[in-house]
Amino acid sequence: MTSTLTRNAFRSLRPRPPAAAWLACAAALLLPAASRVCRAADGAFIDIAASVQPKMVKIYGAGGLQGLEAYQSGFLISPTGHVLTVWSYVLDTDNVVVTLDDGRKYQASLVGADPRREIAVLKIDADSLPHFRLSDGVEPAVGDRVLAFSNLFGVAAGDEDASVLHGVVSAQTQLAARRGAFETPYDGPVYVVDAMTNNPGSAGGALTDRRGNLVGILGKELRNALNNTWLNYAIPAGELVTPVDDILAGKTLPRKIDDSIKKPAEPWTLARVGVRLVPDVLSRTPPFIDAVTPDSPAARARLQPDDLILFVNNSVVTSCASVVETLSLIDHIDPVRLTVQRGQQLADVVLETKQ
Amino acid sequence: MIHTRCSLRFAPALWLISLLWPPSAPAVQDDLVALEEQAIKAAVAKIAPSVLRIETIGGLERVERVLVGTGATTGLAVSPDGYIISSAFNFIQQPSSILVTLPSGRRATAQIVARDRSRMLVLLKVASDELLTVPQVVPREEMAVGQWTIAVGRTFDQPLPNVSVGILSATSRIWGKAIQTDAKVSPNNYGGPLIDIRGRVLGVLAPLSPQQQDEVAGAEWYDSGIGFAIPLVDVLRHLDKLKRGEELYPGLLGITLQGNDIYADPPEIAAVQPKSPARKAGLQAGDRIVEVAGIKIARQTQLRHALGPRYAGEQLNMVVLRGARRVEIVVELAGRLEPYETPFLGLLPDRSPAAKPGVVVRYVYPGSPAAKAGLRAEDRLVRLSDKPVADVASAWEILGNYEPKQRIKAAVQRAAETREFELELASLPTAIPQHLPAARRPVQASAAQRPPVGAVNVKLPEETNECFAYVPDNYHPEVAYGLLMWLHEPGDVDRAQLIETWKGVCQANDLILLVPQSADPQRWLPTESDYLRKTLDEVIAKYHIDRTRIVACGRQTGGAMALLTAFSHRSLIRAAAATDTVLPGRIQVPANDPIERLALMLTVAEKQPVGGQRIEEQVKRLQDMKYPIILRKRPGEPRPLDDQERAELVRWIDTLDRF
Repeated sequence: MTSTLTRNAFRSLRPRPPAAAWLACAAALLLPAASRVCRAADGAFIDIAASVQPKMVKIYGAGGLQGLEAYQSGFLISPTGHVLTVWSYVLDTDNVVVTLDDGRKYQASLVGADPRREIAVLKIDADSLPHFRLSDGVEPAVGDRVLAFSNLFGVAAGDEDASVLHGVVSAQTQLAARRGAFETPYDGPVYVVDAMTNNPGSAGGALTDRRGNLVGILGKELRNALNNTWLNYAIPAGELVTPVDDILAGKTLPRKIDDSIKKPAEPWTLARVGVRLVPDVLSRTPPFIDAVTPDSPAARARLQPDDLILFVNNSVVTSCASVVETLSLIDHIDPVRLTVQRGQQLADVVLETKQ
Repeated sequence: MIHTRCSLRFAPALWLISLLWPPSAPAVQDDLVALEEQAIKAAVAKIAPSVLRIETIGGLERVERVLVGTGATTGLAVSPDGYIISSAFNFIQQPSSILVTLPSGRRATAQIVARDRSRMLVLLKVASDELLTVPQVVPREEMAVGQWTIAVGRTFDQPLPNVSVGILSATSRIWGKAIQTDAKVSPNNYGGPLIDIRGRVLGVLAPLSPQQQDEVAGAEWYDSGIGFAIPLVDVLRHLDKLKRGEELYPGLLGITLQGNDIYADPPEIAAVQPKSPARKAGLQAGDRIVEVAGIKIARQTQLRHALGPRYAGEQLNMVVLRGARRVEIVVELAGRLEPYETPFLGLLPDRSPAAKPGVVVRYVYPGSPAAKAGLRAEDRLVRLSDKPVADVASAWEILGNYEPKQRIKAAVQRAAETREFELELASLPTAIPQHLPAARRPVQASAAQRPPVGAVNVKLPEETNECFAYVPDNYHPEVAYGLLMWLHEPGDVDRAQLIETWKGVCQANDLILLVPQSADPQRWLPTESDYLRKTLDEVIAKYHIDRTRIVACGRQTGGAMALLTAFSHRSLIRAAAATDTVLPGRIQVPANDPIERLALMLTVAEKQPVGGQRIEEQVKRLQDMKYPIILRKRPGEPRPLDDQERAELVRWIDTLDRF
C-alpha cells in the first residue's frame, strides 16, 4: 500500500526540478526521512515487545539445588490474576512467588494443574491486569516470525522485563510421534522454533507471532532422543483452552503423572508372528529374520530368513528390541502390517492371527 | 551509482508523502516482514521436493564421543535418476539399511555409492525409478556475506520441511571448503540444503571443524549460530566421480614449509617428501610458492586456502620462485602420502660453543653409514648434498629431503684437508649407546651476568598452575642446554626431592628441568597442553636452549600429557617419553614430519593393569607411521623409573641431536 502511494506521488511531482535543487532538497530532508524509516522498521517489534511485557510474570519457588533452578516463567491469562505456567518441581512448595512486570510481588496459590500437558494455573490477588486470552491464540506457519518472551537463566529480576528472543517457526509436529523419543507425557502438536528457548527458566514463557498475538507456551527442557539435540518448542495456545477451562472449573487437581502405558493383555509377540530374529547381541542389532515357523502368520505371508524388518504398522523399527516393543503394543486380534527389505526390494505383508 | 541517484530522488519524495499520510510505524514494518516471510516460505516451498527424509535401520549406538541418534535425517536430490547427497554424520553408525521417502510419499531403499572424505559427504543411490527434483544452484560469485540463508531439513513428522532462518556469515571457511551461516544447523538438518531467499541451494549442511577431520567433528557446535555448509557448486563439479563409486580424498602435496607462523611466513619449501606428488612434479627445497591455480600466494595461510578445497587426483598449476627464476609446475595431488621415515647418517654432533660453521663430530655410531664410509670423531661436516652445513639445524633440514636407502654426498674437513664421501642413508637407531664421549669442551667460567640458577619459580601471571624449573648451578650462557619438561602426576609435588633426584643428571648433561603442575590436583586437562607450551617458551626466552633437545616426559597421566603436548606442539618439542602410559584415544597423531622431528620412548611394565594390549597396538601404529620409537618393557608392576632407567632416559636425550 505504502509503496503504491509513494510511486503515484512521485509521478505527480513531475516535471522534476533541476538536479541541483533536488540535491539541496535531499541534503536537507534525507536525515529526518531516513531516521523516520529506521524508526518505522524497528518500531513494530519494539511496540509489540512493550505490549506483551506487562502480561509476563516471573515465578519463584522450590529448587536451587543440584542444578535445578528455583525459577520459571509464566504469563497472565485473566484480568484477575490467573497465571499460566508449566507444571514442575518449582511449584512444589507452599511458597510460590509471582513477580509482575512492574515489580509487584505476590504470593501465588495453585489453582490446578494438568500433568499430561505439564501445565499449571496459579492465582494471585490482583485485578485489572493486562493479559493474553488463550482463545485468541494464533497459528503461525512454518517460516513465520515468532518472538519468545521468558525469564531464561533468571536474568530479569524485580521490574525488569522478560528476555525476548527472535526466530522463526521451524516445524509444526507431534511431539511423541514415536514412543520414547521424548521424555514427556505430552504427545500433542508443538511448534518447534529456531530461537534457543530450551534453557533453564524459560519454561512457561510466551511464544507470540510478530504482532504480539499469543502462539503458545514455551515447554520444559526436553531432549530429542532421536538425534540427541535439545528441542526448542512451544505447546499451541489452542491445545490449552480446554484443559485451562477444566482447571478453572476445578475439574483437575494436582496429581502424580500416570505413566502406565496401556498395553493389550495379549499382544503380538515374535512367537505369535512366527519368526525368530538374529541373536540380539548389540544394542542395535538390525532385526533380520533368522528363521520362520512353518504354518505361522509369517510363513503364510511368505516372510523369509534374511528379510530385514523395517516397519511395524508404519512405525520404523531400528533394532530387534524395538520390534519386540512395538509388537507388544498391538493386540493380537488386530492385523499387523510389516514392511520388510529383501535385497534392495521392499515388501509389505499383513499378518493375521488364525481364528 | 544508479541506486544512489534513485534513492536521493526518492528520499524527499518519501518525506513529502510521510507529511501527507504519516504511515504508522508498525504498518511499514509489517509490510517488510510480511514480504520477507512470504519470500522465505516461497523459497522453502520451492526447495521442498528436493529435500528428502532418510531413515536408517541398525548400526552402532555410539561413535567416538557422539551418541548416535536413530531419528530421521535429511538428504538433497542432486540428480533426477535417484542420486542424493547427504552428510556423512548421518551414516556414522554404519546402518544395515537406508530408506528414503520419495516426493510421492513412497519409501525406497538406498545405498551409499561413494564418500567425499574431504568434505564429509556421502552420495546415495535410491533403488527406484521415480524421478527426483533437482534444485537450482547458487554460483560461488553470487554468495555474499549478509544475504538471507535458510537451513532446511526433513527430520520431523510433518509434511513440510523444518526450517531455520539466518544470514550468510562467511563465504570461505575450513580452508575454503565451506560457507558459514548463523541459521541453526544441527542433526535436524545435517545433509539438507542451505538455500537463498530464491530457493536456490548455496550448500549442503554438515558438521565441520577447523581442527579435526572426522565425521563427528563440529557436531558439538550444533544450534550455536556457527553452522557450516559445503557449497553445492563444489559438490556438483565432482559428482560424476562419486556416481562412478570413486571415493574422494583431500589432495595432498607432500611438502614442509619454512617457519612456524602460517599467518606471516611466506610459503618457502623446507623439505619435499620422497615419493610425494611434490617430488614427482619436481618441487625442490628452497622453492618459494608464489602462485597456485592462477591465484597469487604470499603467505602460508593463502597456500592452505588454495590447497584446502582440492581433491586427490586433481591437477594443479603452480608457480615457484627458484632463486630469481619463475618455474611453472603441474602437480597431481595424492590422497595419501607414504609415511616419511627420517634418515640417519650416524653422527652425534659436538656441542662445544662453535667458532666456525659446520658440525664437529662427537661420536660415530658403529655400523652406521658414516662409520662404513670412514668418518671419524672430530671431523667437521661442512657440506651435505652439495649444500653448506652451518649447524645441526641445517644438516637436519637437508636430510629432511631424503629417506633411508637414498645416497647422499657429504664433505668433511679433517685437519687442513676437505674429504668427500658418498653414503647410503640408514634408519634411525633404536639402541642407545652405553658410553659416549663428552658432549663438549669444558668452558671458562663466565663473568657475564647470568639469569637465576637453582630452583626457579616459573609462574605465568595469567595461569593458576604452579610451575618451577631447576637450572644447573654451573649454568653457562654460551652452552646450549637441553630442556626436560617433567610432567608430574596431578597433585602435590615434593620439589626438594624432585630436584635432588635430577640435580646431578642435569649438571652432568647440560639439562634444565622444567616441572609444570596441573591446575586441578585431580587431573591433567588436554587443554593444558597450551599452558605447557607457554612454560617452555618462558624458559627458552630466558635461557640458552638447544632446540634439538626439548623433551616432554611423564609417567601415567603425566606421560599421556607429555605425548599429547608433543603431538600438538611439533614445532617446538623434539621428543616425548612416557612411562606406563596408554595413549589417550582422542589424540590425533599427525604424520611423521621431515623437519619437525619427534622421537618417542615408551617404557611399560609387563603387568599393565588395563590397556596393556593397547600399548603394543599403539606402538605398532606409530612404527607404521615411521616414528622413531623405542619401547622398553620391564618386568613386574608399573612403578616410577629407577636410577638406571633414569640414566638411560637421560642418555637417550643426550643423543637426540643425532643425524
